[in-house]
Amino acid sequence: MAGAEAASPRPPVAVRPARRASTSSWPPLDRVAYWLCWATGIGLCLIAAAIVLYMLVKGISYVRLSMFVDSPAPSLHQTQSGGFSDPIIGTLLVTAIGTVIAAPLGVALAAWVSEYARPAWLSRAVESALEMVAGAPSVVLAIFGLLIFSQGFLGSLSQHSATGGVLGQSFLNAGIVMSALALPLVFASTRESLAQLPDRLREASYALGKTRATTIRRVLLPSVRPGIASGIVLGMGRIIGDTAIITILLGATLRNEPVGGTPLLGTLRGTGSTLTSYVFNNSPAGEGNSHEKAYAAAFVLLMIVLALNALVTRLTGEREPRIWGGRTWRVLRRGAGRLRWTR
Amino acid sequence: MYTGARKQDHGRSGARADRRAERTLGALAAAVLVLIGAMVVTVLIKAWPSFSHNGLGWFGAGGEVDTELRAMREGTPLAGHSIYYFRAWPLLWGTLVTTLAAVVLALIVSTFAAVFVTEFAPAPVRRALEPVIRLLAGVPSVVYGLIGILALAPWINEHLISNGRKQSVIYVVQLNGANLTTGTIILMVMITPIMVAISTNALASVPIAWREGSAALGVNRWRTIWRVSLRTARPAIAAATVLATARALGEAVMLAMVSGSRAFSANPLDGVTFLFEPVRPLAAEILQESEGLTIGPLGHTLYAIGAVLLVSAGLLSLAGWAAKQPLKRYGIRA
Amino acid sequence: MRAHRTLVVSLILVAVLAVPASAGARRLIIGGSTSVLPLAQKLATAYHQAFPKIAAPKVGGGQSDIGISGAATGRLDIGDSSRDPIRGVDPKGLIFTRIARDGVCVITNPQNPISNLSSETVEGIFTGRIRDWSQVPNHMITGPIDLFDRDGASGTQDAFQHIFLGEALKISSSATAETSNGLEQNAVASDKQAIGFVSFAYTAGVNAAGYRGIACSLRNAKSEQYLGVRNFWMVTKGLPKGEALKFIKWVTSGNAATKRIINSSWIAVH
Repeated sequence: MAGAEAASPRPPVAVRPARRASTSSWPPLDRVAYWLCWATGIGLCLIAAAIVLYMLVKGISYVRLSMFVDSPAPSLHQTQSGGFSDPIIGTLLVTAIGTVIAAPLGVALAAWVSEYARPAWLSRAVESALEMVAGAPSVVLAIFGLLIFSQGFLGSLSQHSATGGVLGQSFLNAGIVMSALALPLVFASTRESLAQLPDRLREASYALGKTRATTIRRVLLPSVRPGIASGIVLGMGRIIGDTAIITILLGATLRNEPVGGTPLLGTLRGTGSTLTSYVFNNSPAGEGNSHEKAYAAAFVLLMIVLALNALVTRLTGEREPRIWGGRTWRVLRRGAGRLRWTR
Repeated sequence: MYTGARKQDHGRSGARADRRAERTLGALAAAVLVLIGAMVVTVLIKAWPSFSHNGLGWFGAGGEVDTELRAMREGTPLAGHSIYYFRAWPLLWGTLVTTLAAVVLALIVSTFAAVFVTEFAPAPVRRALEPVIRLLAGVPSVVYGLIGILALAPWINEHLISNGRKQSVIYVVQLNGANLTTGTIILMVMITPIMVAISTNALASVPIAWREGSAALGVNRWRTIWRVSLRTARPAIAAATVLATARALGEAVMLAMVSGSRAFSANPLDGVTFLFEPVRPLAAEILQESEGLTIGPLGHTLYAIGAVLLVSAGLLSLAGWAAKQPLKRYGIRA
Repeated sequence: MRAHRTLVVSLILVAVLAVPASAGARRLIIGGSTSVLPLAQKLATAYHQAFPKIAAPKVGGGQSDIGISGAATGRLDIGDSSRDPIRGVDPKGLIFTRIARDGVCVITNPQNPISNLSSETVEGIFTGRIRDWSQVPNHMITGPIDLFDRDGASGTQDAFQHIFLGEALKISSSATAETSNGLEQNAVASDKQAIGFVSFAYTAGVNAAGYRGIACSLRNAKSEQYLGVRNFWMVTKGLPKGEALKFIKWVTSGNAATKRIINSSWIAVH
């Protein structure tokens, strides 16, 4: 081969980009498959567009700015049933509690599994257990939560009823169980990001005499901040969208009813509603029977989820180049704008 | 997992700090494990009375679920049975039918869609499809349920369920828009994005040399995908299917809204009418009856249903792990 | 620095975990009948407005039987019931306090605005003897009848059974059982061929059919011409005490605020 080329060198020919092969030469069955592929692809786009447009149309026609500031009022007529300010606050509270618990816990567990992982059986067990929690239905987590939080010694997390029985439903309880939803996502994301860090980063740190704990805290975790952030945002998305845990653990009162005098703690121990349970209750499957309010709240919910999605895209869109060293890399990243990763 | 530089001595205080950190984190991990284990054990313990009173008949058929639960709520046992009497077959059948149908349909749709994204889609369409998939995966189930119950269910009721069809089963059950078909369609739309994402990843990481080799032999693009890429990505698609099944199993809110107003055992011998009969899957049943969780026998029954779901999720986790093992051979990401 | 942080964290933890459960006056927990629910919610809001220092009671649903059993077990401070007490079935030791009366209407879809149903027709439809709208006198639509019932724990179902069907006849088992007035109202409003029954306060958006020639309206219910009227009760374990006693006394005192609320959709008895 080489000999032939050396004997008759050809002048370089401009390479034309290959034309897309036409499918007219294919057997009919393959052509059917080709069109099916196109059909499903476009079909998915159409379904997504239909969902967004439908919710947009219904939402814009029913959403009023007053709904964001009015509290829900008990009424069987849609014009008098107020807005959904309390459910929005409820969503924020539950998400905050869930994230505050799940984020540090998930990062700590991921760091331990990635860096220490002794004894090995414990590390494998923790990974499997978290995978099982990730796959468990949220209703099951909710009924387990209700069981635990109805015990007397946890009564300070919610409130007591007449003869001392514990209600077991409050923002704190719902938030704690919600953290179980977000934990596997934060854990997986952080662990994957830590696994992608090159060993020389750790070796450099040890060579400088740092302990493993310091390495994790000062070198590794700051390097995987985007991974941790995207895991947290994914977890938040899952928490915001969940209804089953709210229905079982949040008492389904129209407004956020605090318990006791203390300002923040009273609300956390009290019952209330979130956007998801508000939509559920106002749909024909719930008591409220206000389609307009359900659409309006569902529209707001969808917008929040879309915003979170866009945030995740932005966080994971910039692929980091292989790390060269802490500071230098960070300066490079900021200075060069978007860096494309090429292998 | 970093395996080097384990037994380094960083100086006495450094080593102590390191050991302290390791012990703390290890204790944390153990605590989380204990908590999760406690969850499983507690649910099983709370579920035990229902299983012990019914034996294996718990999974069988015999009577209406709604009637049995009503008897538990009122405290008056049904004639000739204990207060714990419960036959979960209608729920199990409903879960089986909706989950299986949704997963099979989603498998077909997602495979074609994944092939489209990796192979046939022009660049702008491919760029558009990624946010589309993420959007579909991110929509909360309650929004899907709302659209189902306010848009899809009335449409199906108006156009697909004729009066004659309703008449044919009226002595047994009433047909309306909340039925097996509506639930399955929306469930399929919910689980397809997960499968598309995982399948796309797997198809894209098939070694390019294999695809080029097949093209060099003159095989057209579809055949290449079918015979080479999909075959290689089969374990990943299996893992994706397992994940999607777990998701479908655990879906409570959407199915509670659109799959039916009655825990009915849809009868396939009814022909096409079978598609329009109401069903109630397990998770939706727990949500529907959630107010009775504190009432004795009803609570035990609901926890028993939860235990069945938990065990299924555990088995699916195991299946997913088993499905991922062949992937290690080719280094396919999943 | 680290000690400082630990101190702050432990202080916060102590504050969170050690807050006594009885910080401030406890709220009443009321629940049960979904028919009483709108009335109880309005009364709770008005109670808080009348006595700003007392937190508004938390009002929930679940149907009458849940309210009664909840009051008996202590899960609820006050249970709401829209059916009369049944000796031998209800737990012992409960005190029923009557707070209002309410009408029960037979409802149909607005596209099927039947104005009157005779007692034979009602019995025929709800026991399943009449299965098609074409068999109903003055029918406005044709097609199979979609029957909607209430769950066994419902007080409204008890009242309907008692008043409209008598003791001998039972509602057809192929009817769809809804677990609240709101769901029943939804179901009938969204199905052209549906028929069901709800408490009077839930008749918005559906057609309330007359019974035996008398329209189901508040005026006819107050004048006792319309026959489908039943009692609302608040149930406590033993005589009401403490906060519950204050609330029930206020509700049954016949003051201007409660009278106005009750007379809006219900019948006052005090």
